[in-house]
Amino acid sequence: MVEIDPSKKVADRYLKREVLGEGTYGVVYKAIDTKTGQTVAIKKIRLGKQKEGVNFTALREIKLLKELKDPNIIELIDTFPHKGNLHLVFKFMETDLEAVIRDRNIFLSPADIKSYLQMTLKGLAYCHKKWVLHRDMKPNNLLIGSNGQLKLADFGLARIFGSPDRRFTHQVFARWYRAPELLFGTKQYGSGVDIWAAACIFAELLLRRPFLQGSSDIDQLGKIFAAFGTPTSSQWPDMVYLPDYVEYQYVPAPPLRSLFPMASDDALDLLSKMFTYDPKARISAQQALEHRYFTSAPLPTAPDKLPRPAPKRESSKNSEFNPNEGPTVLSPPRKSRRVMPQPEGFEGNAFQVDKHDVRGVEIRQAAGENTSRNEPVPMSVDFSIFATKPPNRPTINRDVYVNCDC
Amino acid sequence: MAANFWTSSHYKQLLDQEEVDVVHPLDKEKGITLVEFKLLKMHMANYIWKLATHVKVRQRVVATAVTYMRRVYTRKSLSEYDPRLVAPTCLYLAAKAEESTVQARLLVFYVKKMRTDEKFRFEIKDVLEMEMKILEAINYYLVVFHPYRSLSQLLQDAALNDTSMTQLTWGLVNDTYRMDLILVHPPHLIALACIYIASVLRDKDATSWFEELRVDMNVVKNISMEILDFYENHRMNMEERLNAAMAKLSLKF
Repeated sequence: MVEIDPSKKVADRYLKREVLGEGTYGVVYKAIDTKTGQTVAIKKIRLGKQKEGVNFTALREIKLLKELKDPNIIELIDTFPHKGNLHLVFKFMETDLEAVIRDRNIFLSPADIKSYLQMTLKGLAYCHKKWVLHRDMKPNNLLIGSNGQLKLADFGLARIFGSPDRRFTHQVFARWYRAPELLFGTKQYGSGVDIWAAACIFAELLLRRPFLQGSSDIDQLGKIFAAFGTPTSSQWPDMVYLPDYVEYQYVPAPPLRSLFPMASDDALDLLSKMFTYDPKARISAQQALEHRYFTSAPLPTAPDKLPRPAPKRESSKNSEFNPNEGPTVLSPPRKSRRVMPQPEGFEGNAFQVDKHDVRGVEIRQAAGENTSRNEPVPMSVDFSIFATKPPNRPTINRDVYVNCDC
Repeated sequence: MAANFWTSSHYKQLLDQEEVDVVHPLDKEKGITLVEFKLLKMHMANYIWKLATHVKVRQRVVATAVTYMRRVYTRKSLSEYDPRLVAPTCLYLAAKAEESTVQARLLVFYVKKMRTDEKFRFEIKDVLEMEMKILEAINYYLVVFHPYRSLSQLLQDAALNDTSMTQLTWGLVNDTYRMDLILVHPPHLIALACIYIASVLRDKDATSWFEELRVDMNVVKNISMEILDFYENHRMNMEERLNAAMAKLSLKF
């Protein structure tokens, strides 16, 4: 698997190192770009069963990332074919926001939270300006570079939403980050879905745990309504016309303050505007960036001053597999179960249970991930040994989405 | 989306006519002239259009496929990149990129069905190999803007959106893909040129509307002239000239 073919010039430019993880559509390696000396992450795209060529999800990602160049969007440095596989070269990213949120040794000050949210919204505002919906916003897809810069990654579900009447699938986002209109089955939606997810991330930064952890789509709506009250038709006039609309028992909204006791008034005000039920009334990324929350004290922490997972902690607890897990799992294994356009088979209970289980895997994994980060790489270990055989990870049904894609 | 054309890779990749009108040295060796080069690309565009009616994809997908094909031949030769394989593969790739995937086996099936060259055979794996080569040739830039969207907006704005005008302009836009215009000009200018021609043909006075637009009317007029020249040149039967060109490449399709 460590394939450096001297005959291939482009591939030769990169020195492959350890495997970082198993992505949505292939293995992710760490590598050194010999031209720039930069550390990069290379996604090798498996060509499925050679039946439908370049993976659809990968193609989407390439198509959009070639258009999106912004400090808060992951940079696609290069693309090259090698031995019949397509390789995507990304800037290497040290960690992700999920690892930061889960690291109990990290204290996130209000200024730190503000900084992370600001970078997230800047990335989103740029996407939306370019008419691109991310559709898979979650802490794990927000990568953090060595200078603390946060970048939106994993555009495998992203889409251009230019045409006003194009119908899209509502089966997007990990459930906990799914906007209510998606849960009610809307097919025509806009940038508001990304804002709702960003609000969930904001809440997660404040609470240091996922905010609305629904165990099914129905339960997800229940959790949302329990937090913000059942929406009334004056709050959200179009709600009753949504395809999967069902009436929920009326629950009054508890004061938002009671859910986020530590948040500032400005933070709560912005949060409530991002969590607005009616997508038409929901604040846009650009408007959110102009909210006074970002200009009132404390000002956002400079990215390079942001706390990041400590290097040494926990390393003893971990299995020897960690060195090759690495911090930057561009697309962790569970993504292979991403919800794809064909809804068949994804609606059942099995999926809901799975999704839940998978989250468990994620958490364990994230805990493991923290360990090897920043640790001096033991030079004596031959990483190619790890690289030749990636450890077996709980990659469930990876092929399912391959079929669905077609 | 139109507002973002100026920041898109499509805009950055626009070429000058002189850059597009270069016959690859390998094709030149075989005696292919510039006129023949253009003719062959037109034939390929027609072929992609025909193939698309079988596999039933949106017009946008076809337009994207033709654009990919034209981009490929700004860098690669007809001799090395077999048009008989490039054409269906561009359609295959465009369908994927435009989110309306067509199965490779379906394409191969229809290519065989409309087969014109008994000797030329290819299978799914050939399409998939060519897909990779095309991606590389177009430098992985997959987003293409087309005149269609601006067309309907502009027609509406000019209050020229009656059926007859809509159909005529739409047809004109379709025909622009038989030329290299999409590689050279911003799509909305192509749309304007089509409206301009149609307004003259249908005797509609749109002068004041055109004057109010903040666009360079000289460019629009030049595009219009090019389109009219194209129709003028292709009134006579092209068959013979096309066959001569294909014979030079020992192609048949």
